[in-house]
Amino acid sequence: MKTSPHQTLVKAGDRDGLKELLRRRLVECGWRDEVKLICKEIIKENGQDITYDALLAMVTSRARSRVPDVVKKELLQKIKNQLLAQEEKLKLT
Amino acid sequence: MSDHGCIHLNNFKAAKGIQPYKVIHSFFVTSTSNEARVRKAVSCLCHTCKSYKDRLHSCLHCIFFGCYVKGHIQEHAKTKKHFLAVDLCYGNILCFQCGDYVYDRELLVVAKAQWSETAKSLSLGEFYRTWEPSLYEVELLKKNPRRRRVVENSTIGLRGLINLGSTCFMNCIVQALIHTPLLRDYFLADRHHCPQPNRCLVCEVSSLFQEFYSGNKAPLILHKLLHLIWTHARHLAGYEQQDAHEFFIATLDVLHRHCEQYSQVAPLIVKDNPHHCNCIIDQIFTGGLQSDVVCQACNGVSTTIDPFWDISLDLGPTAGSGGPSSGLSKEGGGAPTSLLDCLERFTRAEHLGSSAKIKCNNCQTYQESTKQLTMKQLPIVASFHLKRFEHSSIQDKKISTFISFPEQLDMTPFMSHRRNGNNNSAAPNGLHKNGEDAAFSDNRYSLFAVINHEGSLETGHYTAFIRQQRDQWFKCDDHLITRARLKDVLTSEGYLLFYHKQILEYGRNSKV
Ligand SMILES: [Zn+2]
Ligand SMILES: [Zn+2]
Ligand SMILES: [Zn+2]
Ligand SMILES: [Zn+2]
Ligand SMILES: [Zn+2]
Ligand SMILES: [Zn+2]
Repeated sequence: MKTSPHQTLVKAGDRDGLKELLRRRLVECGWRDEVKLICKEIIKENGQDITYDALLAMVTSRARSRVPDVVKKELLQKIKNQLLAQEEKLKLT
Repeated sequence: MSDHGCIHLNNFKAAKGIQPYKVIHSFFVTSTSNEARVRKAVSCLCHTCKSYKDRLHSCLHCIFFGCYVKGHIQEHAKTKKHFLAVDLCYGNILCFQCGDYVYDRELLVVAKAQWSETAKSLSLGEFYRTWEPSLYEVELLKKNPRRRRVVENSTIGLRGLINLGSTCFMNCIVQALIHTPLLRDYFLADRHHCPQPNRCLVCEVSSLFQEFYSGNKAPLILHKLLHLIWTHARHLAGYEQQDAHEFFIATLDVLHRHCEQYSQVAPLIVKDNPHHCNCIIDQIFTGGLQSDVVCQACNGVSTTIDPFWDISLDLGPTAGSGGPSSGLSKEGGGAPTSLLDCLERFTRAEHLGSSAKIKCNNCQTYQESTKQLTMKQLPIVASFHLKRFEHSSIQDKKISTFISFPEQLDMTPFMSHRRNGNNNSAAPNGLHKNGEDAAFSDNRYSLFAVINHEGSLETGHYTAFIRQQRDQWFKCDDHLITRARLKDVLTSEGYLLFYHKQILEYGRNSKV
């Protein structure tokens, strides 16, 4: 069975590493706090019992559009590098 | 929503315990081992549609994987009456009977431990988690409902300091320390617990922070602080003008010695710094300087690492470079014009010359050698001292050349692994095997304080620029505080420059 790029990254632990890197970058640039505030507002307006799905539907597009370009670029570059590095490894073995 | 889970989850836990959750978490959410990662890569697909994304969940009852977006986990829950599922991205628990995610304190503890495990197994530093108040802290917050909100144009933390003769050298250092973000956080969080509060300098600094942030705007008089420093660093006693740099180092030293005496406090950020001390001063200000001496005969390298609190940088032309007349000298001589120049020169391999032969550990003979200094470990606050005062037997003089310095500084080029060019330099963008070290290491700093010496050697006066909030600069001239522009800061002469690391690591791997 052919392994997908996704699987390659999971296997090597790179996906966890990249995910953590992304998490850190989003915290550092204030994105997390921003999105938290948006969620708080929505909960205030809609009441405590709003479901996760309802909250997600309201927040997703706003949250996505707020991810800074530098963060996206850095992640993309790192993912590319990781995949290339994995490919190199396969060639060698 | 409470963190007591729900009745359905509680019933499940009563019957099966926390083990099912733990197993799913350690294999498919966090993957705490290589084996788990391989299993995750191969088997984490929706059993119905083979998608690996779309909010994949695992049934908590029978380890069925189903995506949420296309409704496959919902389908499974309904047909099998398995009403609890685990989100495989975040490890949260979904209860289909409640119709939402539920939080359970006990399982959150499990999840937290798993995240740490994973970080360890990937040799990443501790994963970042936001602060959550403990039950005790929640009580405290409830009991003290008044909050102070720092708005954009707030002048919080700004206070002038009365000059007690010629104590501007002390005032400007105090201003810089008060506005060192991590030091401020430490003291405002009441982290110093003291058995001997009366004569303790650290306590005095602690109450000074309280004073600065009390809201009172009247200038402060630092009688007691001055007195305490005099008794602990006798060479600074007296009312005559002192060197601000010397005072800075002496203050760090006195504070460090005080903390050391009484330290039983748990380490805050860095466990091992080159100074092998866990006091707040060393956690913030100590870095490690690597010195490589290379024997010219056998190329044997002897390496030592020494702690430093600041970096003193030469401003004169490079010795032996022949001055500007020699044109394009290989050494790149001439006087530096920027902080980067100075750092480049500081970390350049230097030929020690034939008159300074050193016994080589490798070939056991006296040989000529080169010496190179690089940054092995960066401090959280990088303090640079531009050596503007030249003391010689003939005369003392001040070098007033303009040295430009940036607001944002990246220290990566001056790190040992970079500068020595021997290891790993080929790895693309530094993300090596299993994302070790360099992947996350971020060596960017931002300027937060500049101390200036205005005037001549004899009749000089010290002032400080400090960053009070992001992009908010102020000039502190003893009791006078005035707003400043970044441009004013960056075009000032600069004597001591203080940079704060932009990104802090949360715990470190103990392997150095
Ligand atoms: Zn599906
Ligand atoms: Zn099931
Ligand atoms: Zn429930
Ligand atoms: Zn004390
Ligand atoms: Zn110490
Ligand atoms: Zn030798």
